[in-house]
Amino acid sequence: MRRADLLIGIGLLAFAAFYFQQSFAITVGFAADRLGPTFFPRVLALALAGCAFALIARSVGGRSDPTPLPTVRISLLLWTMTLTIAYVVALSPLGYLIATPLYLAALVWLLGYRSPAGLAGTALGVTAALYLVFARALKVLVPLGPLGR
Amino acid sequence: MLERFALGAQIALQPLSLLMMLFGVAWGIIGGALPGISGSIAMALMLPLTFGMNPAVALMMLAGIYIGAMYGGSITAILIRTPGTPGAAATVIDGYELHKKGLSGKALGVSLITGTVGGMVSVFILVALAVPLSKLALAFGPPEYFALGVFGLALISSFAGRDLLKGAISGLLGLIVATAGTDPFSGTPRFTFGGTDLLTGVEIVAGMIGLFAVSEMLQQIAESEAWAVIKGKFSTDLPTWVELVKLKMAMFVGIVMGTIEGLLPGGGGAIAAFISYNEAKRWSKHPEEFGHGSLEGIAAPETANNVVTGTALIPLLTFGIPGSNSAAVMLAAMMLHGVAPGPQLFERTPQIVYGLFVGMFVANIMMLVLGYLSLRPAIAIVNIKRPLLLASILALVLVGAYSISNRMFEVWLVLGTGLLGYGMRRFGFNILAMVLGLVLGFLVEVNLRRSLMISIGNPWVFFTRPISLALLIFAGFTLVWPIVRQAREHRRMLPLQTARVP
Repeated sequence: MRRADLLIGIGLLAFAAFYFQQSFAITVGFAADRLGPTFFPRVLALALAGCAFALIARSVGGRSDPTPLPTVRISLLLWTMTLTIAYVVALSPLGYLIATPLYLAALVWLLGYRSPAGLAGTALGVTAALYLVFARALKVLVPLGPLGR
Repeated sequence: MLERFALGAQIALQPLSLLMMLFGVAWGIIGGALPGISGSIAMALMLPLTFGMNPAVALMMLAGIYIGAMYGGSITAILIRTPGTPGAAATVIDGYELHKKGLSGKALGVSLITGTVGGMVSVFILVALAVPLSKLALAFGPPEYFALGVFGLALISSFAGRDLLKGAISGLLGLIVATAGTDPFSGTPRFTFGGTDLLTGVEIVAGMIGLFAVSEMLQQIAESEAWAVIKGKFSTDLPTWVELVKLKMAMFVGIVMGTIEGLLPGGGGAIAAFISYNEAKRWSKHPEEFGHGSLEGIAAPETANNVVTGTALIPLLTFGIPGSNSAAVMLAAMMLHGVAPGPQLFERTPQIVYGLFVGMFVANIMMLVLGYLSLRPAIAIVNIKRPLLLASILALVLVGAYSISNRMFEVWLVLGTGLLGYGMRRFGFNILAMVLGLVLGFLVEVNLRRSLMISIGNPWVFFTRPISLALLIFAGFTLVWPIVRQAREHRRMLPLQTARVP
């Protein structure tokens, strides 16, 4: 955790600086109150920077929690994220009714389930169930893509 | 008071309300029984569904999920030794022993019945304490609300666990995210980066689903071990009347501890359950049975964690301070419907609060019936294949996020906050602390600025008003106490640690 804490601390410090700098982009109107819209964000930015310094100091000083992190299946996580992002991107052009079963089938397969019946059942069943609940009962305008025309 | 209950009953006993609560309790039991889905996750997943609902019905459904999940969590605790929700962690000890002895039905039955009793008692405690407390909040002006917000943020220190620094960072990140959007005072956009997507601020519901639910799914995909499964059939013989009567002491202990712990900030169901387990053992006529399959060992923690379903709502309804994940999800639902918790809630919209009170009582009866009916199908729920569950939940989350405002922005937001939440879990940051910052940021900033406007810039306004001063002192204690306690424990542990080193 020590090295991770150091990197996170540096990242947070950079974020605090960015956030502080962005507070100057806020236009302060005439009718603003005494503190104005920039005071609170700047206090937060300074507090975050202070905490980030403390985190860095702690990890450099060797006082971070030395317990090793659990192993992570990074490639599975990355593939899941890639697949999910692809689904979200494809949702508008392909439409919900085409993109969703494809996404579900691919994700279930990726996560290690291979029985064709279960794969197809989940892909179609969940797509239909969510469609009925959201598009029909709740009247959400899900993107329909080519099927909507 | 009685008219208000009649008003509440009118709403809670409508067919639609009953149907939604029934759905909520059923989903709560299923969600609780699904490994990896806690009560708060089950609630967060259903937030988008509450959009078109009357706010009273929405809150009743969420409370139904919360109540159902408390029993659902004990199903996995008893049958596969995995607490389905944190509140069921103490139930594992004796529950799994009973299952091994072939007494699964008795264990599940005790959990269900004592849980129902605990849940019903908690509604009375909720009414008895929340109504007078809400009167106190009538005297609140901007300085008091600011002090209340500060107190809410100080709670982070009590549930940040061992790492207070990371808890503070988590809270600050939440506060920072909350500043994005249109400034409530001057109307100027802040941190919107020139676009229109962020003008209304970060949608809290989306943040909640991402931080609570998606992060958990990602962690399951990336880190967790294979799930345990129930092998073969199990006995569904329920406990007898005689066996139940013997549990009255354990239930009493559960009620007392659940009430105390539910009210304390950062307590929550898990701690209440463990403390009740220990106390019930101390007061029991058969303490030797604890740990080897004692029914009292299930009755005490299950009563306690169901008592918490009511008491945890007291600080939320009266002051708008969520003390647990589930309460935070309830708060998000209230914000979604433009319902502000606090005294106005009790005065202006009594039908919501009293509807919720009546609804929670009814939901407990529903839990008893549905819990009994779910004894046999429990195997199928618990044994669901993980890839099917994870994929279905992710699809539900994405479509639900889209439905929040019919645009893609919230979908990306849910994914982004999900990834952030997973990173936070992995590196020891605290998600509830961030959520607290997110929901309290507005309250703190607006009332800080409003107070200073009233006092013409004099910061002493927070210290010269008695309630505000008391709240700030209380906040100071809340902040410092866990630090002092940790330092004391550390000092006590130090000689032991150095002694072990050869």
